[in-house]
Formats: sequence, C-alpha cells, structure tokens
Amino acid sequence: MERVAFKQNSHLEPALTDPATRTLNVEGLLGTWKNTNTKTTGISEIVIAREGSRFLISLVGVGSDGPIHWPRTEGTVFANLEEEAGQKAVAIAANFDLGFMTADTHLRVNKGVLVIVLIVTFQDDSGRSDYVNREFFYKHHVE
Amino acid sequence: MDMQFAQLFDRVEPADNAAPIEFSQWVGTWINSNPDTTGIARLVISEVDGNFFLEVQAVGPDGPIAWGKTPIKTLAANPASRKGAGFTCSYDFGFVTTRLQGMIVKGLIVLGQFHTFKDDSGRAGFFVREYFGIQHGRY
Repeated sequence: MERVAFKQNSHLEPALTDPATRTLNVEGLLGTWKNTNTKTTGISEIVIAREGSRFLISLVGVGSDGPIHWPRTEGTVFANLEEEAGQKAVAIAANFDLGFMTADTHLRVNKGVLVIVLIVTFQDDSGRSDYVNREFFYKHHVE
Repeated sequence: MDMQFAQLFDRVEPADNAAPIEFSQWVGTWINSNPDTTGIARLVISEVDGNFFLEVQAVGPDGPIAWGKTPIKTLAANPASRKGAGFTCSYDFGFVTTRLQGMIVKGLIVLGQFHTFKDDSGRAGFFVREYFGIQHGRY
C-alpha cells in the first residue's frame, strides 16, 4: 500500500485493500438467531438477510403481549481484523430509530455465537438512562 | 405506566430523574492488555465539571499518536441504573471517522472501534475490539 493517511498502525493493514476482506465469511452471520437466554426481556430474535450487496437486520423485542417487531434496517459491514477462534469474519453495525429511542447496534459471531451490543439512547423525557447491553444468540437451523 | 418500549427490558421506573450517570469511578489511565497492539495503546478518561472526556494514544509506525481529547457520552448498564457501565464517542480525522464504544466488563474496558475511511485509498471500514485495564499504581 502506498503511504496513506493514518492515525494508527492498523490503518496501514494491507488486508484492508483486499476486496475479499469486505465480505469475509459473511455467510456465517446470515439467518435467524435465537437468544440463548429463554427468559430474556430484551431481544428474542435476530434475522440477518442479504439482498444483493445490502444487509438487512430485523430484531424482535420481548413485549408484554407478544413479540415486538422493530423496523427492519440496513446494516453496514465492517471488516473484522480480529481472529475469532481461528476464523475472521465481518461485523455488522445497524442503527434503529424507533422515535422515542434509538439503538446503535453491532453484531458479530464469536465461536458460533452471535453477539449483539446495543447502545440505547432515549429520545423521550421518561428519565430512563441511556445504556449499553449485550446479548447472545444461537443459529436457528430450519429442518 | 404510559411509557413507550420496544422490549420489556426498557419498561422501568427510572431510579431518580434528576441524577446523572455516575462515571467518576472510571476516571484514570487505561492500558491495552495487548503489548503488541497495532491500534490503541492507552485511554485517558477525565472529568471536568461533571462532563467526561477521552484522550486516545494510538500506536504509529514512528511512535505514539495522540488523537486529542473528545467528549464522551456516558452509559448505564440498564435504563433504571445510574451507575456508569460504558461510553461512546467519535473522532473525525478527515480521511477517517472512528467511533468508539466502550463497555466495562469485570473491571476492564472492552473497546469496540469502528473505522470508516472517507478518502480514496480503497480501504475497507473495519471493526476491532481491544481490552484495557486501569493503571492503578498499586502492588
């Protein structure tokens, strides 16, 4: 790589200009994922779908009267320079805007488990704290 | 309770409407657990008049690179809590924007970094996590 602008050595990582890095093992993220915690009061299910070059993320929250389907949103793929159990795979970031709150999320697979980190910011005046939370999901294999 | 929520986790009574998130306990210098990092070597969290700031020192080919001081948004662990459990902030360097998401887990900062290049270098945006322990000066 030619000398380009950088703010840390990782910005000079040659793999970043390899087209394959952008979609490395992305198939591993696609599909339906169920929360490993059957008693969660947070996100019960995540669906990650690919439409051409777009990645669409659907979340289902646990509601008082049944599931709450969050508006589907497009995710942004990030190359993942980490080595997870000997296998690199991309991560996906997605932002959800529900009006009264926003959720910035990122999703990645670690040892076959999908990890979602949510950063929730309340836009209403409910007095609730903005927070960060993490949940874990297993792949739902359809027979 | 007339409160909107998209998951039961968020249907709570706030602990105290007036109280800010307590974050002072995380003020200090945090060192990367990986001495061979090619990313961020050190984080310094500071407080001025109840506002919190982050200074990043990254690893460059010719020595450390100071990113400067930026305000952070503090986060709790759940919507009813006022105890600091994480933060977010971003840096815009022109050619790249870097979003940082810190989560405090078992006394360590787990720092998610999202780098999005805006120049014509063809570099893919990338994600990486790094782990930081506080420099406490004991033992």
